[in-house]
Parts: sequence; structure tokens; C-alpha cells
Amino acid sequence: MKIRRWLVRGLFILLIISVSLVVISPVYFMLMMSLGNPQETFATQHPRYLISELYFAEPGDRDYTGTNWDNILPKWWSRVLLEKAPGGVRLDADLASRLIKSLRVAFLTAGFSLLIGIPGAYAISRLAPRLKYGLMLGLFFTRMYPEVGIALPIAVTFLKVDKALTGIQFYDSPFGIELVLAHLIITLPLSTWILVGTFDTIPVEIEEAASVDGASRIGTILRVVIPLAAPGIAVATIFSWLASWDEVTYAIYLTLFNRTLPLEIVNIVGRSPPPVIATYATLVTIPVVIVTYFLQRWLKAGYLAGAIKG
Amino acid sequence: MTAITAKSHQSRSRTLVTILSFLKKYKFELILIAPLLIYVLGFTLVPVIQNVSLSFQEIHVGGGFPTLESYKELFAKYRFTEAFINTIVIALVSVSLELLLGLSVALMLSQEFRGRGLFRAIMLLPMGIPTVVAATNMRYIFGSSGYLNEFLYDVSSLLTQIGIVNAPIGDLNFLQEPLALFGVALSDMWKVTPLVMLILLAGLEAIPRELYQAAEVDGASLWQRFIHITLPLLRPAITSAVIIRGIDAFRIFIHPLALGVSGQVPVLASFAYNEYTNAHLTISAAASSILLLMILIAVIAYLRIVGAEEVVR
Repeated sequence: MKIRRWLVRGLFILLIISVSLVVISPVYFMLMMSLGNPQETFATQHPRYLISELYFAEPGDRDYTGTNWDNILPKWWSRVLLEKAPGGVRLDADLASRLIKSLRVAFLTAGFSLLIGIPGAYAISRLAPRLKYGLMLGLFFTRMYPEVGIALPIAVTFLKVDKALTGIQFYDSPFGIELVLAHLIITLPLSTWILVGTFDTIPVEIEEAASVDGASRIGTILRVVIPLAAPGIAVATIFSWLASWDEVTYAIYLTLFNRTLPLEIVNIVGRSPPPVIATYATLVTIPVVIVTYFLQRWLKAGYLAGAIKG
Repeated sequence: MTAITAKSHQSRSRTLVTILSFLKKYKFELILIAPLLIYVLGFTLVPVIQNVSLSFQEIHVGGGFPTLESYKELFAKYRFTEAFINTIVIALVSVSLELLLGLSVALMLSQEFRGRGLFRAIMLLPMGIPTVVAATNMRYIFGSSGYLNEFLYDVSSLLTQIGIVNAPIGDLNFLQEPLALFGVALSDMWKVTPLVMLILLAGLEAIPRELYQAAEVDGASLWQRFIHITLPLLRPAITSAVIIRGIDAFRIFIHPLALGVSGQVPVLASFAYNEYTNAHLTISAAASSILLLMILIAVIAYLRIVGAEEVVR
């Protein structure tokens, strides 16, 4: 009996370790690829699980810059970050402008999601149950339409508007207004679901007490309801930010030259060597890891379940 | 005659009064919701209607509404049937595997063991990895000289030495036909199984412990408890997971593109995109309208089978 229990326990541990390895391995190999010698990672029939050394650019190499950076940054990182190539030719992509556009779009999208989502979600949460349910279901149905189908007419409309009005640029704008507008299509329903779930947990009695004390309705919302809903608002903000940072489909349809960082990866797939792609991929992942680290604390299934059940 | 008009007039004014009193009662709420509703209508409903009506226009003139020309052209396109079938296969394969794996991991996480927090954090890792990154990473793993083949080669060489397998394998290319379809499904699975797991875990945690204890007292085996308690009570969570994931699986687009196999594994969404880049807007609109129809049929059919009241709770 005791042996059997030990056996079951051993198998359970083995299972957990192997599942964990499978989940971690793609990210781990991405790092190995971006840091290591291609002879050990992709330019070989038998890639190694562990790279033997960091790979630096050497004199004579086309990625060699001749500065101190060659000793600090591994070859692929110096190529991506410094974007220096012989003769000033850009090898891969204009990293800085992509990064700035991605960041700006993600922050603006998260901000507008809150600005429109908080009042909307609060009101939905205080409506009669049947009406509330109908609205939540309606928001859910917006997810059902293929993004490629929404992106097409929006791209056409933006192009028409650009043609009709001089001085305004929506399609492929350097600022990123077209993507903020498009990403809100995804993030507004998402943040509204999360926020309605949060506002539902705040009893109406608290508001009534505040109004007896003479506070106006808007004052009650601003000073009583929103502070109480802060954790849910944080989750909604972070989810919106992440959704916008990850988004590619709308970016493909609505931009041409002023691409975002994730779209740039799609763009260089098959053009740049795999380690460069892996380095870009790592760069896109770093902010996400930082953001999800803070999200972890709040990432309870309850938020998602509430968001999904509607 | 006059009596009837008066009556209908009366009922009409009554509805008007109801609407007005409703507007008055919820004035504040309606003002708060307005921006949200206007946005969703303007940026989702209107484009959807535009897209569907675009799909019924003539291909070259852009007028001549309504005509089925674009649909005829679309159905006659090279590999359209394949894209149609691929979309369904990917949706079925990835959603059912995700459910199976997600449930297994959720069951593991619902046990008490040391290091559970760490295991949970590892399981949630893919949620934080951008989809594009998840797919590009799979390129180095699934390629003919990728890590998966290396692993298969190592394991099968070991087995060859023992004498279980005749010769080592390790030349499976998941980025080429016929395996590329599974490459896409596996890549999608890696990224979204954590979400399925999280939804199911929430469902598991909502099942009262007392039920299991009572069943144990009655002498129910582990398997019996799973079949008669866990699965039935988990049905709402499973329904949520299937619908959420099913819709996304039909719309799969980024994975084939970032894996670099969109030429080999055509799906409806990439079909729509290719027609867009070829400036065949009406055909692109037709492809995405068909995708919408497929999603609608799948969701309605699924709800018919499991019973809609589960979602309405």
C-alpha cells in the first residue's frame, strides 16, 4: 500500500515537471537563440539544448560596430538594438519608431478604455437585470465577428476620410490614432466585462448612504465607487494594455510603413535570420513579462469568469 | 373605423409613455452608457454591416447590389475548399485538445502539493507571451532541424539502443504538409490552453468540497467521483471555455502567418487577408462573411446541444 502511494506520488511529480518543461521550453529556446551561436542553435542539424557561450560579433563580421558595445551586447542584440550596419544600411527594422508607436498606442488604448469603459460599466451594473443581461450579451457578440471582416471596412473608411480631408491622416498614421481606434474595438468589451463584475460587488447601499450625506451622484461615483473598484480597474487597465500591445490583425490592415513592434516580427519572418527574429520576439516579450508580473497578484480566475459569464 | 384608430392611437401613446418614463428613470445611466454604445455601434456593428453588404456587390464596379458574384468567384478560388476544411479542422482539433489538457492541468492544480504556486505561475506563462512571439518561437521547435525533432531523435536513439525501436526518428517537419496543420493547431494550443485551464479551475473551485466527502463516505471511487460529480458540475465552465475558445479558433490568422505556413495551411481569415492585399475587396468581404456564418452556426449548434440555459445563468 505504501509502495503504491509512493509510486502515484512519483508519477504525479514527474507529470508536473514534464508539463512545466513543455510550457517553458519555447520561451527558453527563444532566449538561447537570441544569445547563442547559430552553429549551436539553428544552423545545425542537431540544435543543442544549452548553448555553450554567449555569441559576440567579431571584427570582419557585418554586424561588427567597432565600439565597446561589441563586447557588452551579444551579436544579435547589438544588431537589433544599435541597428548599425556597414554603410548605414538598415538590416532589419527601425526599432525605435516601432517601439514608440507600440507603447503610445498601448497606453492611449488603455486610457480610453477606462475613460469610456468605467462610466459605461458602472451604468450597466446599476441597470435592471434584464436590460443589463441583454447589453452584456450584446457586447459578447461583438467578439464573434472575424477581425479581418471589421478591419477591412474600417481601412476603406479611413482611406476615404484621408482623401476627403487634407491635414488629417488616419490610415498608417505615424501617431497611431488608427490603431487606438481599432484596438478599442477589442478592449472596450473586455474592460467593460471586467468592470461590470467589479461594480456588481459594490453594494448600492454605500452609494445611498453617501447621497443621504448630501453627495451628488457624480461625486459619489468619483469619491466612493471608483476607489472601491480600484483593483478591478487595475486589472481592466492591464488587460487592455496587454491586448493592445499584442494586437497584430488590425495593425496589418491599417498600417503600411508605420508598423508596430509585433507586426514588425511578422514582417521580418522569412527575411531576417532566425536569431534576429528571436531577439525581436524577446524584446516584445520583456514589457509583457513586467506587466504580467504585477498582474499576477490580481489574476484570479474570478475576474475572468465574471467577464466571461457576463 | 374611428374606434380602431383611436384604440391603436391609445396603445401607441401608451408605449410612448413607457419609453419616456424609462428614459426618465435611467437618464443618468443612459448618458454614462452612451459613449460606449456609440463606439461599439460605430466601430463594430456598422463595419460588420458594411462588410456584409460589400460582399454582395459587384467585383469590379463596386455597385450592382445585390449580386452573388463575389461568392461565386470565392468558391472557385484555388484552395478555397481546403481553407474552409482547414478552418474547421483547426477549430475542432485545437479546442478539444485544449479542453482535455486544460482540464488535466486544472485537476492537477486543484490538488494540494508543495510548489503549487510555482507550477501555477509556470502554467500561466503563455498567457503573457504575445501571440506573434508564441508562433515565431514554434518555428525553431517545429522545423526539420528544430528542437522537437532533436528531442524525438534523442529519445528514439536511446530506445534504439535498448532495442525497442528499430531506427531513430527525427525528421518530422511540422512546418510542411501534411503536418503543418497540426503545427498551427499545436502553436495555438500552447498559447491559449492556460486560459481554458483558468476558466475550468474557477469552475472546479466552485464545486463544494462536501459533495466529494459525502461520495467518499458512500464508497465512490476516484473515477466515479470525477464522472458523477466533477464533470456534471463543471458543465457551465466547459461551455464558457468552448464558446470563448471556439470563436477565437475559427478566426485563427496570426499563427499560420507568423509560423510562415499561411501558404501551406490556408485558413479562411488568411484567405480574406490575401484577397484584401490583392485589392479584391468584395471577395475578401465574402470570405469574412462566410467565417461569421460559420461561427454563428457553430455557436448556435453548440448551445442547442448543451442547452442555452447554462450560459443564461
